[in-house]
Amino acid sequence: MTLVDAGVAAGYTVADFLLLAAAGFTLLAIGMLYRAVRGPTMQDRVLAVNVLGTNTVVILAILAAALSEPTFLDIALVYALLNFLMAIAISKFTVERGGVL
Amino acid sequence: MWWVTDDAAESVTDDAVDADSAGDAVDAGSETRPTVVVPVEPSPTLRATVAHVVEAATDGEFSALHFVEIASWRDGDPGSDDRTAEAQRVLERVVAWAEADLDDADGDAGDDVAVVSALIGADEYLFGPDDYVDVLAEYAEEHDADTVLLDPEYTPVGNTTLLQPLEFALSNTSLTVRTAPVGRPTRPERLRSEATGVRFAAMFGLSLAFYFVLGDPLYWFDWVTGVATAAIVSITLSRISLDADPAVPRTPMRLVRGAIYVPVLLYEILVANLVVARVILDPRLPIEPSMNRMRVIVGSGLPLMTLANSITLTPGTLTVRARDSDLYVHSLLPWAREGLFDGGLERWTRFVYYGRSAARLPTPRERGDHAVLQGPDATEELPIAAADGGETDVEDAEATDTAGGAEEEVTDA
Amino acid sequence: MDAAGTLGTLRVGLIVVFTLLGLFFSFVSMTGVLRLPDVYSRAHTASQADTLGAGFGLAAVALAVGWEGAGFKTVLLLFFIFVTNPTAAHAIARAAFEEGIVPWTEGDDRR
Repeated sequence: MTLVDAGVAAGYTVADFLLLAAAGFTLLAIGMLYRAVRGPTMQDRVLAVNVLGTNTVVILAILAAALSEPTFLDIALVYALLNFLMAIAISKFTVERGGVL
Repeated sequence: MWWVTDDAAESVTDDAVDADSAGDAVDAGSETRPTVVVPVEPSPTLRATVAHVVEAATDGEFSALHFVEIASWRDGDPGSDDRTAEAQRVLERVVAWAEADLDDADGDAGDDVAVVSALIGADEYLFGPDDYVDVLAEYAEEHDADTVLLDPEYTPVGNTTLLQPLEFALSNTSLTVRTAPVGRPTRPERLRSEATGVRFAAMFGLSLAFYFVLGDPLYWFDWVTGVATAAIVSITLSRISLDADPAVPRTPMRLVRGAIYVPVLLYEILVANLVVARVILDPRLPIEPSMNRMRVIVGSGLPLMTLANSITLTPGTLTVRARDSDLYVHSLLPWAREGLFDGGLERWTRFVYYGRSAARLPTPRERGDHAVLQGPDATEELPIAAADGGETDVEDAEATDTAGGAEEEVTDA
Repeated sequence: MDAAGTLGTLRVGLIVVFTLLGLFFSFVSMTGVLRLPDVYSRAHTASQADTLGAGFGLAAVALAVGWEGAGFKTVLLLFFIFVTNPTAAHAIARAAFEEGIVPWTEGDDRR
């Protein structure tokens, strides 16, 4: 019996609770999508996608724990790296004069 | 200005022409002979550069030689005394070389050449080529010098790739710039000499450790791939990632003090986050954002990055731009702005990097190193590319659209 | 690993608390990004509330998977998020600044 199988309340286990939390994070990410679509500036969109990406990383990590799939964590790490690179790269290339960072 | 800028442009491009025109100047009268400023720093070609300058002086090109060392540190920092003493030794050695060369010169050509040495720029932090050039130009003006002669290997401490930007920045001043035509070792050799073993080892160890956190240190194949990866990383990046050798008392001390700082920072983040969360969830959204400028006294590079990121992590403040030692910080609430000007994070950063004694300094507010750029308390103008005219018209319309059914507001306005 | 006993109960409790805190701060972050008037103030919540939210979420995961390889990875991920998130927010805000977007102040009707 691992920790994720331990009960939280009323017969639900930690795994169930974590899955519920992942669903919550997903809802928040969908809310963020509004800003990514509406903008109004390029930077707003990048920002929203960046936050969305961070949420995705957390969701991946929670799923790794809830489903006992440690390999999800590797994906989360790579996703976090790409997310960071995305923000930096787009910030750099949207500015004509360049030179961000 | 009594110096001629046309002449300067000519001599930058062509040393031979410069020598000729300088010769003419001597014929015209020795009182017009210029003074030359030579920034020095221990380097493989320093001796040859000094010899070249002295030769030029005895040929009648220069009447006074000023050897200056530009301090990359600031007086009062821990260790600054040692570095000052070291710089003085270098300057003494350079002056001794120059005087010996002058004595060796034929006849009495070297008799009326003055040799001066100085340590400059120790009263402030210097960040990039522009700062170095400012200091140099100021010194040159003070001493009526119109020529700067660079050692081809001149690299002030901690700025491994400064020479070219420095030459470029100097070309924007009225000073004549020359680089001593002395043997510059070929580039691959220079790379090899600058990538120190300590840096390489530190980078290698770090990347290997990172690899094994992700992999399995007990599996032989991970050793093969890990060592190969770490080698590639450290070969390509050790000169870029680390600009100073990790030193035994300094680096572990910084790590220890950093470990003290992290919980403090986390607590600050948590408390301030709760305050900002209340503001954001408040239906009235009582925010008063403004842009601020603050001049901070931390070193360039890693300390500045730590401070800027700490400011960003602390809710209510966001570093928008770090330009030399000027930080442009956007604050959401006056409360956060006041906290910023109290300089707590700046003091902590100094504690982490330079120790407890360096953390005692006046707050930015006491130093007067702060300015509000927007809102009713504004003390300075916003240095933004677009003027505050109607440049956001399109955005305005779009942004108001997003508020949903706010078109009435637009027509009102 | 045995989940029974007071230590196990404490851990389960901490996981629940951390996850809820993570959800709360992510919610604050989303609210901020949706409500605040300009890109600079949105970057505030994006970098701070979200970092803290992700931090709590990942801390809960680290507690759940325990002190082993996966736990190290989670801690690494946590550290990584704490370093990169403010840097990314800074880069975005700086790009906005260089583009000449004037920060919103009181009385500006742009929202």
